Amino acid sequence: MKEFLSFIKKEFRHIFRDRRTILIVLVMPIVQIILFGFAVSTEVHDARVDVVGDLADPSVRQTVARIDQNPYLHVTAVLGSVAEVAERFRAGKSDVAVCFERNFDERLRHYDKAFIRILGDGSDPNTAQMIVNYVNGVLSTVQSELSASEGTQTASFPHVQYMYNPAVRSSYNFVPGVMGLILMLVCSMMTAISIVREKESGTLELLLVSPIRPVGVIVSKAIPYLALSLINLVTILLLARFVLGVPLRGSLFLLAVMSVLFILASLGIGLLISVVSATQKTALLISGMGLTMPTMIFSGIIFPCESMPVILQYVSDIIPAKWYIIMVKKIMIEGVGFSYIYPEFIILLVMTLFLLVVSVRLFKRRL
Amino acid sequence: MVLLYLLEKEFKQFFRDPGLPKMAIAFPVLMMLVFPFAVSMEIRNVDLVVVDSNRSVASSKLVESCTASGYFNLVEVCDDPARAMQLMDRNKADAILTIESDFDRCLERGEALPVGVKVNTINGTKGSIGAGYLTSCIQRYYAENAPTQPTTAAAGPQLDVSSKYYFNTYLDYKKFMVPALIVIAITMLTGFFPALNIVSEKERGTIEQINVTPVNRGAFILCKLIPYWLVAFFVLTACLLIARWVFGYTCAGSVGLMYFFTAGNILVTAGMGLLISNYSDNAQQAMFVTWFFMMVFMLVSGIFTPIASMPGWAQAITYLNPMRYYADAMRGIYIKGSSLADVWTDAAGLLTIGAAMVSWAILSYKKTN
Amino acid sequence: MNENTDIIIVEQLTKKFGNFTAVDHISFRVHRGEIFGFLGANGAGKTTAMKILCGLSLPTSGGGTVNGYDLCREQEKIKRHIGYMSQKFSLYADLKVWENIRLFGGIYGLSGKRIRQKSDEMLRYLNMTDLRDELVGDLPLGWKQKLAFSIALIHEPAIVFLDEPTGGVDPETRRLFWDLICETAEAGTTIFVTTHYMDEAEYCDRVSIMVDGVIADLDTPAALKQRHQAADMDAVFRKLAYQAKRE
Repeated sequence: MKEFLSFIKKEFRHIFRDRRTILIVLVMPIVQIILFGFAVSTEVHDARVDVVGDLADPSVRQTVARIDQNPYLHVTAVLGSVAEVAERFRAGKSDVAVCFERNFDERLRHYDKAFIRILGDGSDPNTAQMIVNYVNGVLSTVQSELSASEGTQTASFPHVQYMYNPAVRSSYNFVPGVMGLILMLVCSMMTAISIVREKESGTLELLLVSPIRPVGVIVSKAIPYLALSLINLVTILLLARFVLGVPLRGSLFLLAVMSVLFILASLGIGLLISVVSATQKTALLISGMGLTMPTMIFSGIIFPCESMPVILQYVSDIIPAKWYIIMVKKIMIEGVGFSYIYPEFIILLVMTLFLLVVSVRLFKRRL
Repeated sequence: MVLLYLLEKEFKQFFRDPGLPKMAIAFPVLMMLVFPFAVSMEIRNVDLVVVDSNRSVASSKLVESCTASGYFNLVEVCDDPARAMQLMDRNKADAILTIESDFDRCLERGEALPVGVKVNTINGTKGSIGAGYLTSCIQRYYAENAPTQPTTAAAGPQLDVSSKYYFNTYLDYKKFMVPALIVIAITMLTGFFPALNIVSEKERGTIEQINVTPVNRGAFILCKLIPYWLVAFFVLTACLLIARWVFGYTCAGSVGLMYFFTAGNILVTAGMGLLISNYSDNAQQAMFVTWFFMMVFMLVSGIFTPIASMPGWAQAITYLNPMRYYADAMRGIYIKGSSLADVWTDAAGLLTIGAAMVSWAILSYKKTN
Repeated sequence: MNENTDIIIVEQLTKKFGNFTAVDHISFRVHRGEIFGFLGANGAGKTTAMKILCGLSLPTSGGGTVNGYDLCREQEKIKRHIGYMSQKFSLYADLKVWENIRLFGGIYGLSGKRIRQKSDEMLRYLNMTDLRDELVGDLPLGWKQKLAFSIALIHEPAIVFLDEPTGGVDPETRRLFWDLICETAEAGTTIFVTTHYMDEAEYCDRVSIMVDGVIADLDTPAALKQRHQAADMDAVFRKLAYQAKRE
């Protein structure tokens, strides 16, 4: 036991001697949470609208004014012809163009029908769709005002209720995601590297000939990173709660238990990487590039897993972060209890056990 | 002359490395063949639970028309709102459609339909888009099935609104992401490798052997940059070809311009990598610092979420982000066919940051301390 | 004034790292063509002093010249005229034997023809002609060190600095290596060498012994042995090194 403690002390000393790495590991979550919480959002606030049409025409002027009044839209330019629209899009000077028919007012009054065409910049599909919807919304209020004098038509808008996140804040989605990403990367990357480093310098053999069993060596390597990850976890939760205002509705204890489980899974991955890679460089590249991208893309942080093709959904199923993130969302934001998350819990538990057993086995056999 | 010898060394070392060349090939292929399918923000397969208290022909027709839209997965039709809520808590339902018991009567009378929609908005985009789908389904249903009121036909002036999307008519999300993935692949490869380069010479001690020679430090750094240019051009070419063969996408603008921007981007990423390498004591540190910057750059580059959606202070920060310029230009050229005149600001931004990075990398590499 | 006879002239050379004075006002001269042994216990400051002489590090105060070039201002010129081989073996392990020769030849501005000529000569001299296509990383340590030494001489420098060149090799290889050093010195190149092996100090024309950042003594091995009434250099070294106060 005494030797074991001295091993752990040694690991802590290793970590804390490298100030820069420590700083990054501790600051990274803060920066990411702030970026994700405040900067990263998919809502469009300020779309630039070009108008193609004759502003001398009273109906056009009225409609354009209505568009400009919309808080999310503002009119930037009046173009002479539709041909200029693509040019403006290419230069990134506007996001949408609203084109009015010639003699718009006259047609509207005398023929009861006038054409408007909305041209969206489809190079960014979601944004384009949203902006075109905004413009459509404005035009439909204009339409209802036009028809108001002539007798009303009830359109049927169902009442929509936004559950769990009534203000539709993106931080509710991103905070659990960042938690998963950071815990995963810090644990697996750092564990992998610290083991491979000792492997490269030959000191690992030294440790293994000591009276401590290989499992003890692994555990003593893992404990400091576990501690660091817990610090990160606390930082993230505090920031999320008090700076971003993300609720913490469920049980903190449950969240902590799940996080520790997930950290263990990450340590298992780290160990696995350290077994398969011979040099620090390989370990770094596998964990830095090979782990970051798939975790970011397949864990559902940014891109919903349900929209992926079936094969890729299976791929996403083997990413532990996905299950952890689902649980965090449920506990933090929906505030549900254990009975609601046990399927995910069991999946993650099985994954963790599998990773740990396999990696420890391999670790022992390779040495 | 010395440059040639140094270049020869860098190339040989690159190709002799057990991992780097494989990685340079595998990474873009993976990025282009797998990720475009995964990085879709198109919302489909929204899990729908219906609470039907009406149980009439009309209500079941509404449910049918919703499922026929292709956006929804009908999980269950039940009577109990509490049960539906429970399903949502268990993540079995993304949206709940509640049909009240007087649904068919209201429909006959042409009154507003007594229906309610609840969506899970933890993922805001998914929730609101799902709600949008459901709303438009209901509206369409209403328009088709409500008794037409004779007065509305001559209801006075009508705006006939139609919309069209330029460059990407069917709003194909993959097309939007392909140039972005190229940007990510190139930036990651040419950011991480150089970051490990000088630091590994430091760790092995070979840098000292170089430092006692009269070699010019600018030449030394420059020769470390050049192979990454070729790596990047290779990756870009491979990605463009894959995009063409697999997805049938072609570059709307000048391919040469894409190479130009890529060359500029290498100045930034490789310059930054070498810079970090100069300041790092070991590979681990170099890797962590690089990783940190890459993450930040990527998140606020406009690749995943539009820059226009960010608050003012964050938008101001993005002007320091080289990836913003690179991504914007690459997307503009690839999808919209932007010319240099359209994206000259991006070029200016990218080259300025690149020049700064490379000069800093050269200046911070000290042969004598 | 003595530039023709003295290749290294050092006056009051000092290097501080924060509060720690690694090299404390040392002054000495190295004559052209001699083998100069630069001895000292670990941490005595010899590597630091050597780095300053090679232009890898700037002195905090004091100065001097190497081959007539100023230590503080003309480091890049110094680098043209010196060879260097460090205690950490530092050729490129992932380059082949001939590629390493070619690289350093190229860096020192030798022409392609000259490089080919030089490398043939060198490999023949070292009996390594068959190994020219081996990766340097695969060579045994003794071979690597001989190669590194020869490459440090590729541009025919006036002086070559060897930082513990024989660390970690067996006695036989060490002896062969010293044969190489002696032959080089006979050909007119000045050798500046640090070592831990006191038997090697006997090969040197003159030896300095550094203790705690200062030069405790400097003379020919014979004179040192006589002055300190010791049977061999090992005893001389131990007598002087025991005065050390710092670790």
